[in-house]
Amino acid sequence: MNRIDRIVAAVDPAAAAAEPVVSRGVRELLGEIVATAPQRPPLWKRALPSKRRGRVTAVVAATAALAAAAAIGVGLPAGGPLTRYANAAMSVERTGDAFSVTVLDPTADRRRFEDAFRAVGLDVRVAMIPVPPDEVGVLFGPVVPEGFRWHGTTGIRRTTPCASAFCGTVWMPADFPGRMVFGVGRAAGPGEPYAEVDAFDPAGEEALSDYSFRGRTVAASRAELRRRGLGVGYRLVWTYPHGGFADEPVPAGRVGNDWVVSGSRMHSSDVVDLYVTPGPGAGPAPDPTETDRSRPHWYDIQ
Amino acid sequence: MQDQRVPPGARDRFEALYLACYPPVYRYALRRTESADDVADVIAETFLIAWRRLDDVPDGEGAVLWLYATARRVLANHRRGQSRRTALAARLRDELSAAPPATAPDPRVDAVRDAFTALAPGDREVLALACWEGLSGPQIATVLGCSGAAARLRLHRARKRLARLLGTAGEFRTTTALREESR
Repeated sequence: MNRIDRIVAAVDPAAAAAEPVVSRGVRELLGEIVATAPQRPPLWKRALPSKRRGRVTAVVAATAALAAAAAIGVGLPAGGPLTRYANAAMSVERTGDAFSVTVLDPTADRRRFEDAFRAVGLDVRVAMIPVPPDEVGVLFGPVVPEGFRWHGTTGIRRTTPCASAFCGTVWMPADFPGRMVFGVGRAAGPGEPYAEVDAFDPAGEEALSDYSFRGRTVAASRAELRRRGLGVGYRLVWTYPHGGFADEPVPAGRVGNDWVVSGSRMHSSDVVDLYVTPGPGAGPAPDPTETDRSRPHWYDIQ
Repeated sequence: MQDQRVPPGARDRFEALYLACYPPVYRYALRRTESADDVADVIAETFLIAWRRLDDVPDGEGAVLWLYATARRVLANHRRGQSRRTALAARLRDELSAAPPATAPDPRVDAVRDAFTALAPGDREVLALACWEGLSGPQIATVLGCSGAAARLRLHRARKRLARLLGTAGEFRTTTALREESR
């Protein structure tokens, strides 16, 4: 340790603090944490093919924007893009059609991320999208909002271990002429709705670790949320004859108290959306294309 | 009742991680926050993220480095006002608030602390990781998400800048005294 290091060590704010012990408070926090929502599959996994992907695709096949969410590519401009680039926001390294990406600072300006992609030949737009705390810095996408219609495949694969906010590999056909959109997760503000980056899983998804809404009535679920000081939102989960499904955000007045809840999801830090099976008088199922078109998409965030 | 969505062994692994790494994460937070509430918030949020991303947390020495990197981002969000008080850790917050002040005022230490505070945040962090957390260059690189060469360069430059600040402030006598005190 050199002289400067010794000087810095001498002003260590924790030097005079008592050695931390495993107190009741420490134990209690441990219990509180493991009682929260358990580990969820990372979003990149949820976006990859799964048992529900087929059903999602069945409904949204006619919706170019959502179909595009699974596939995208970019071209490489003439003029010799770099094979490796890094700034304070992220580092990118190109190997053929694959790009190793590390998000270094999730709080950086989106233009710094775009600069990094552009330096290695990717014409992209980056949207900073509001997410829960455990998804801050995660890279989402790629998406072509108008629909990906090109040869080859695109995707993103997260790599671990990762000491940064996010590490992963993005791949795409190098000659794609369009522009893609990536999302970088930023911490949502109190009450700010989280971006919806994947479809609700009607087979069962719950917002709270210690309480299951599935199978309960709307009235009972609403009472439980109010008891916890949480707000309530409602989504009707419509199923279609060809096996697909879609959810429709609705006001409280369109939901019957005795209708049954199929699952729940955090809408924001203080509101839970209840996913409800439509009951008598719910009306005809909406056109899923219209339902999708009328709601905001994370890749539209500027 | 066993939560069916918790992977087998996850709870045990997290508990071992939590108990082993609570002291270094506590000290990391204590060194970089102003209040007991903030310390409790950073600890709670950091371990909450570790619980939710347990598959991402490496084994062995890498675990605490991963937690440092996570705590660093949690702190950045706090400083930008993007986080609100967590509802967790109420008792821990009370316990930490009841702890006595850590240090008595010392004008010599205060002078060095002023110089340290005058550094850019990046310089402070790399010096703190080296001198307070006791991390090596490669370990600092892991926490900061940069290359080992970049970490060493940043550390070297931060040391030079602090030396310059102390030198121009005429603190050589202070630093000598501190060097002797720190053995």
